[in-house]
Amino acid sequence: MGESTPDVREARRMLKKGIVIAGVGETEQGVLPGRGSFELLAESTKLTLDDAGITLGEVDGLITAFSFVEQTLMHATTLADYLGMVPGYFASVAVGGATAPLMAVQAALAIDAGLAEVVLCVRGDNTRSGISSSGMIAMAREMSHGAFEAPYGLTTIGGYGLLAKRYMYEHDVPQEALAAVVATQSEHAALKWNAMLRDPVTIEDVMSDRWIATPFHAMDCSLVSDGACAFLVTTAERAASMRPQPVYIAGVGEGYSHQYITEAKSVDSVRQGLGRAGRRAMEVAGITPDDLDVVEIYDSFSFTPLIALEGFGICGPGEAGDWVLQGNAKLGGKLPMNTHGGLIRQAHLGAMHHIVEAALQLRGEADDTGRGGGNHQVPGAKLALTNGSGGILAATSALVLSSEPPA
Amino acid sequence: MSSEQTTEKPPYTKPLPDMRPEGEPFWAGTREHKLLLPAGPDGVPFWYPRAYTPGTLDAVQWVESKGEGTVYTYSVHYIGPSKAYKGDPPHIVALIDLDEGVRMMTNLVRDEEGFPSLDPEDVSIGMRVRVVFHDVTDEITLPKFTPAG
Repeated sequence: MGESTPDVREARRMLKKGIVIAGVGETEQGVLPGRGSFELLAESTKLTLDDAGITLGEVDGLITAFSFVEQTLMHATTLADYLGMVPGYFASVAVGGATAPLMAVQAALAIDAGLAEVVLCVRGDNTRSGISSSGMIAMAREMSHGAFEAPYGLTTIGGYGLLAKRYMYEHDVPQEALAAVVATQSEHAALKWNAMLRDPVTIEDVMSDRWIATPFHAMDCSLVSDGACAFLVTTAERAASMRPQPVYIAGVGEGYSHQYITEAKSVDSVRQGLGRAGRRAMEVAGITPDDLDVVEIYDSFSFTPLIALEGFGICGPGEAGDWVLQGNAKLGGKLPMNTHGGLIRQAHLGAMHHIVEAALQLRGEADDTGRGGGNHQVPGAKLALTNGSGGILAATSALVLSSEPPA
Repeated sequence: MSSEQTTEKPPYTKPLPDMRPEGEPFWAGTREHKLLLPAGPDGVPFWYPRAYTPGTLDAVQWVESKGEGTVYTYSVHYIGPSKAYKGDPPHIVALIDLDEGVRMMTNLVRDEEGFPSLDPEDVSIGMRVRVVFHDVTDEITLPKFTPAG
């Protein structure tokens, strides 16, 4: 490893203090009519506190995201009021799918600065059942430029499609490679207790599904779901008195390349832009892709993990499709990916579930046999990389998580 | 259905551009069937229109494009972003690299009355295209692209 830059050294200094994920909680996911946005957030909070073995009164920091259903300018304090808590530190993070890892980074920064010691990061919504027509329009327009993209009937799916088509053209990637991501993750979702889609599908099933926007069939797209998910960030010192085995945040990184898809310069500029997040997180952690045991990679569409695997240096440019087709991403493969089913098969709460699944893997608790699922534990997993991306691969945040304290 | 000879166009229900001051010269240009591009003081165009040149924040001037370019990528949309697309054949959203060096979003269409969508099998990355001007309302003309030559 070469000389590290001051920002990497500063991130290492912060994380060497021992900043950990000490509790996680996931509600049921899927179609949950009659369940409100704040109700789901409260349930995932309760599950997370129970997992950590602490009470709400011991939480002094609250980081939330946003809601398409309960639109408020003050999401964190509105939730604090609903929960009945008075946090000393509060913030809401809103960078689309990059939000969840950034919540963990914000929590680490707040703890390092002494603003809080026990920070609850929580995101959830009844997006599937509770959204109004204005919320739907806001969501559909979110990724398009209102003047120079929206009038051409661009959808978010098609925006990703534009990039995916060019990627497949430049690297001669077959449609089967995208379908293999879906098929792989469907086998994992079959084992996850709260996955929305529990039936495994084959490459042929995906390829014969109806088109939404080329190169994506319906099964290539992520789900729209109701549910909530939370994780608790604190110091290793404070976590020593909590119930679970602590999971260390060993590396953090961010990357950006464009906002609107029209502005994306090239396939490679997007790959490098989002790739910086994972590469930097691994640099801070002092590891290389070969050290990883499991990866939970943002999967808004089947194409999304392919370019991310390449950007992070896990696969060479244009090689991720073959890598997945060869079975490397499966449980039992070289580097199991999205062991919970991901946004495509489990549920969509940005990257919240990716973080929670990575934490459960490193705790050795990813066996859902007792609760109606199956065993999706990667035996002996010690190091995980996870990320989230907002917009059309516009902004990415990544974490390296470890079962061991940073060296 | 008996055809009624009427000069009235059906109302346009698909998304119209958000109108902001920085885009007004562009839409004034398309109304006159001219494709104008914003550019910095050196005359090098950029896209999309902003009040200042991105990167340097210099003042903006406008230069006319020849309206020719190549398809960088495209996606055939089988479902549109709103109910207004229901029942339509698939529409093709594309990114075009104009010869002047900027990339813009558009639809790929046939140069016929009403500018219907090109058939997906007639589209490929790298194909040459030229601009056509689709007057969708009295105020708004959308530049779209059709195979060149």
